[in-house]
Amino acid sequence: MGCPQGRGGYDGATMLEVLDQARLLVVTGKGGTGKTTVAAGLAVAAAGRGRRVLVAEVEGRQGLAGLFGRRQLDHREARVAQGVNALAVDPDESLREYLAGYGFAPLARLLSWAHLNRFITAAAPGLGDVLLVGKVWEAATREARSGSGPPGGYDLVVLDAPPTGRVVPFLRAPETVAELARVGPIRHQADRVRDLLDDPERTAVVLTCLPEELPVAETLEGVAALREAGLPVAAVVANQVTGDRLGGRAGRLAALAKDPAPLAAAAAAAGARLDRAALGTLLDEARGRQRVVARERRLLKELRAGVDGLPVVELPFLGGGAGGPEEVRALAGHLAPGGLWTAAGTSSGRRLPSRSGAPASRGGAPASRGSDDAHPEAGEAGG
Amino acid sequence: MTARAAGTTLASAAPSPLAELARSARIVVCCGSGGVGKTSTAAAVALWAAESGRRTCVLTIDPARRLAQALGLDLLSNAPRPVRAKGLSTRGPGSLDAMMLDMRRTFDEVIERYARDAEQADRILANRFYQRLSSTLAGTQEYMAMEKLYELHESQRYDLLVVDTPPTRSALDFLDAPDNLNELLDARAFRLLIAPAQRIGRGYLRGLNLATTAMTKMVRRVTGSELLAEVGEFFAAFEGMYDGFKERAGLVYDQLKHPSTAFVVVATPDGAALREAAYFAGRLAADRMPLGALVVNRIHQAGPVPQVPAAARRRLAAAGADGRLLADLLELHDGLETLAAAEQRRVRDLLATVPNLGVVQVPLLADDVHDLAGLRRLGAHLFA
Repeated sequence: MGCPQGRGGYDGATMLEVLDQARLLVVTGKGGTGKTTVAAGLAVAAAGRGRRVLVAEVEGRQGLAGLFGRRQLDHREARVAQGVNALAVDPDESLREYLAGYGFAPLARLLSWAHLNRFITAAAPGLGDVLLVGKVWEAATREARSGSGPPGGYDLVVLDAPPTGRVVPFLRAPETVAELARVGPIRHQADRVRDLLDDPERTAVVLTCLPEELPVAETLEGVAALREAGLPVAAVVANQVTGDRLGGRAGRLAALAKDPAPLAAAAAAAGARLDRAALGTLLDEARGRQRVVARERRLLKELRAGVDGLPVVELPFLGGGAGGPEEVRALAGHLAPGGLWTAAGTSSGRRLPSRSGAPASRGGAPASRGSDDAHPEAGEAGG
Repeated sequence: MTARAAGTTLASAAPSPLAELARSARIVVCCGSGGVGKTSTAAAVALWAAESGRRTCVLTIDPARRLAQALGLDLLSNAPRPVRAKGLSTRGPGSLDAMMLDMRRTFDEVIERYARDAEQADRILANRFYQRLSSTLAGTQEYMAMEKLYELHESQRYDLLVVDTPPTRSALDFLDAPDNLNELLDARAFRLLIAPAQRIGRGYLRGLNLATTAMTKMVRRVTGSELLAEVGEFFAAFEGMYDGFKERAGLVYDQLKHPSTAFVVVATPDGAALREAAYFAGRLAADRMPLGALVVNRIHQAGPVPQVPAAARRRLAAAGADGRLLADLLELHDGLETLAAAEQRRVRDLLATVPNLGVVQVPLLADDVHDLAGLRRLGAHLFA
């Protein structure tokens, strides 16, 4: 397994701090960058470190279900892996719960009788988002509010949030609506939601990215927008990074592409029957891959330079993903490398990385990046 | 892991189904999840059609910056502009226009079109509920893209319109948007909720009115009173516009269903992207929309390399630097072959769920597409 040189410190140590200490982990990213898969991976990784985790999706996409080998998830919290419950937050159900919670149960019944739930959550400005965020807040603070940790309390809630373009308005929806409601329960809840979201001790926002042009540009915009909104950005997860097996041998590859005779000689000596055409194919494939690796490196460098000290955790390409529990476990293994199930490298009093951009801790965890894509290491995370 | 001599190739015996669409369709709608090359695909189809002699316009929603620059789309504009790019060689009557859609502006234009007078339009446009509605109701913005598409189609200025939908799962919510909007604007129950008591004259409604007044009070306590007031003003301002709106929505929907329209689902061989593609295809089939083709971008291909037995590989690895390098090259090739085979399996699995869908597979290109040359390289694969 290659261990690429010349990159920043081992960023995963910071990810371990987040996994061990955060109460709410918000995962966002450009569409197609593996946001939901990484959210599931983070949930399983945290559970593997002994935390009770809830992972929640809010867009009605049923993206989590397949990742945990389920057909569907709904508004009821269901166990999907060891230490992990999952939930698809539904605005209608949240509205019903919310109204009931504030003593408006008859109104909730009237609304569903008049088929107005969908109308209200779809059309009232941002109210759907308010209810979704409110439900996540409820789950993340459940234990703290009821005192002694009843069943159903969680140590960590992982939120598979809307994509970067929409995440700030989503998380700030309670604020926005509260502007219309200066007093009353909505205002009160908005304040408490804001307290949680703005607190870098409890909340960490993670952005997923791909080593490609558009996702890098959008991630940089997303980080800026989240920081601007005062939300605690903790890390970027660069997903599907091509492993560099041939590092340092680019010059030799170029020379062999011009004159493959030495390669043909090596093949003949070893008894491998590879003619010129086959050797040419092998060299073309390798050089194509080197170009991909070089481009990804350049983009990741741009990303690191642009996020101003924010840790960038690289995850290897795992073959494009059938997108099931195995892939989630493999990702979890890379996010919290196997065998490190003690809280090594973390200390309880430490703050989560905040937007002031504390440098990543170094050491304390074996590098797992850069493993070859054809041989994904199975993680040892529970599930 | 076995390395077979055959390698993997993209079978392309039949002519590309996209070529037929680009020659004869009047409207091509590209949909698919984010990051699959939807905008590039739409632009490549438009370029190919323009260079084959058709008057073409590409409507895009959120293009990559460099591609936008290549097409001369550095600003949001709600009117198509000719693409003035170096190397554009349209044939005969062929032309290429492009437009980056301002969906919010389009909604405003619709309001202006159906308003009785400028005063009614202004009242609606200034309403805070309208402002939020036009950006938050699921599918509304996407529907506005279709509205603009229809308007351009009606103008008869183009032989072919190519549009890409926003990169979200909800991209096809525009199919529901007319219903959603109609349901919203027709929400009589809600009007009852906010209507002043004296407007409900009939006796049997008085009881209901008492109940709704109680409800209104509760809603006010929860949401604050300004919200309801804004909603009330919105409905009052919208009075009389409803029928025109609904009729137009029907026309747009009919045009999308027309056989001269083709939906192209774009994906990558990634498991998640293909699942999204299956969802889109199913959704279109359920609405009886004309499904034209599936484009799978970024396909991995492994070339033909004879199998090398494990013993020979061990000898290579134990030999000098070049031997070790060759052993690594073989291993990379195995990985590529495994990946390519897995991708083909996933594509086949998808096609098994959608009968009679033509598929075009595009190999992973070395560079991002950000100019006409890149679009032509992509086009060469799309129309091969």
